[in-house]
Amino acid sequence: MIQFVFSLLIGVALLLILYFFVRGGKVSAEGSAQQLLEARQTLDSLQFGLLPNDLVRRIFAREDLEYVRQAASPQIQSLFLAERKDISLAWVRRVRGAILSLMRFHRGHARLYAQLSLSTELLLAINFARLLMVCRVLEIALFVRGPYAAPGMVRTVAATAGTVCAISEKSLIFLKVNPIDPLKNDPSHHGASV
Amino acid sequence: MTIFTQFVWLAGILLEGVILIRAIYGRFLARYSLFYLYIASVFAASTFLYFVDIVMPSLNVHLYWYVNFITLAMGCGVIFEISRQVFQHRVTLDRVARWSMAITFGAIFLLVAIHAFLLPRWNAATNSADLERDLRIAQAIVLMTILFLAGYYGIEMGKNIKGMILGLGVYVGASILSLSLRLLIGMRFHTAWSIIQSSSYLAALSIWAVALWAYNPGPAPRPPVSGGEYQKLAGRTRELLGSINEQLDRTTLQ
Repeated sequence: MIQFVFSLLIGVALLLILYFFVRGGKVSAEGSAQQLLEARQTLDSLQFGLLPNDLVRRIFAREDLEYVRQAASPQIQSLFLAERKDISLAWVRRVRGAILSLMRFHRGHARLYAQLSLSTELLLAINFARLLMVCRVLEIALFVRGPYAAPGMVRTVAATAGTVCAISEKSLIFLKVNPIDPLKNDPSHHGASV
Repeated sequence: MTIFTQFVWLAGILLEGVILIRAIYGRFLARYSLFYLYIASVFAASTFLYFVDIVMPSLNVHLYWYVNFITLAMGCGVIFEISRQVFQHRVTLDRVARWSMAITFGAIFLLVAIHAFLLPRWNAATNSADLERDLRIAQAIVLMTILFLAGYYGIEMGKNIKGMILGLGVYVGASILSLSLRLLIGMRFHTAWSIIQSSSYLAALSIWAVALWAYNPGPAPRPPVSGGEYQKLAGRTRELLGSINEQLDRTTLQ
């Protein structure tokens, strides 16, 4: 019976994978400009939009909760908690999405190499999965227990995602556009001006 | 022989012939040599069994399983061809696929050897359905490994390879399900098994005929980057993940 269930599972799994394989979207060209630009945008949105210390501190600020508890009615308190919960959930979802994009970018780059280190790739995949899992656990904790459930975890996600950005930044540095120096923009030397 | 069997048999021979003729006409037979070797072998086997069935029908039942095993073994060549084509410029990924092939097929053959030595009443001919199901499971595992790796790294494939994978996958998947049900339910399921088996094979041949109508290997991949560059990338990512883990550990202590 175990053999029967096992073979049935394998057969169904294969047909399901084939279904997704046929349905699968178009793969972007290897190392395409679009892919690199998307990675750059993801990094920017993480660094300047989602991870700044001030923003993270503001979303999860305990002082706000204490102030509302002292100054407002119970209805206002519950409204405050509900809104903070929505904001914190939106924040963690966006961070998770951005980390996923960075992971896709790493894989997109790795496939260009003829000889990968199997152990390294395996380890990286496990570690990326671990970080994504932490984000998911945080999401569940925020959903179940509210925005002040896991302050330590919030700091971790923000800090680790920040580290991801710092290192990914190095590999995408060439995509930063240098501002044009107005003094060098001289039509008499180059024949045209911007 | 029922009309359905007759139809499937002849349609199969016809489609196999079309696939071979298209490859010869398009001059891409050598590009997918192992795949066409398999098609040629099933074409020869089907034609041979068809004539045996007309001349000496009683012999066909005995011959079927032997011929089936030969074509089953040749079918492993199709998986080898798929892996070779998908990971053409990825040495490591190709190696992973080949290792998974060696391990799964090795395990199946080891199991057969153990059965043959330890169980005196066991023999491959009488347990042919068991053996075929196990081999199909091994093929499915390798195919899933290839699909997983290709999906994980977003490797692009051409119409030819996609068709090869889809055709083989449909046939292997349907075979596993029908053989498992046949072994569970018994001879009552034999007619249904026979219909599923032949229909899925015909479906696979139709997919192959369409996908391999003309040579279409897919977009040419960019030349691979050197190993030194990869070490840099891996080093950077390792450094990143090292600090991530460190911070995660700190969180659990908080």
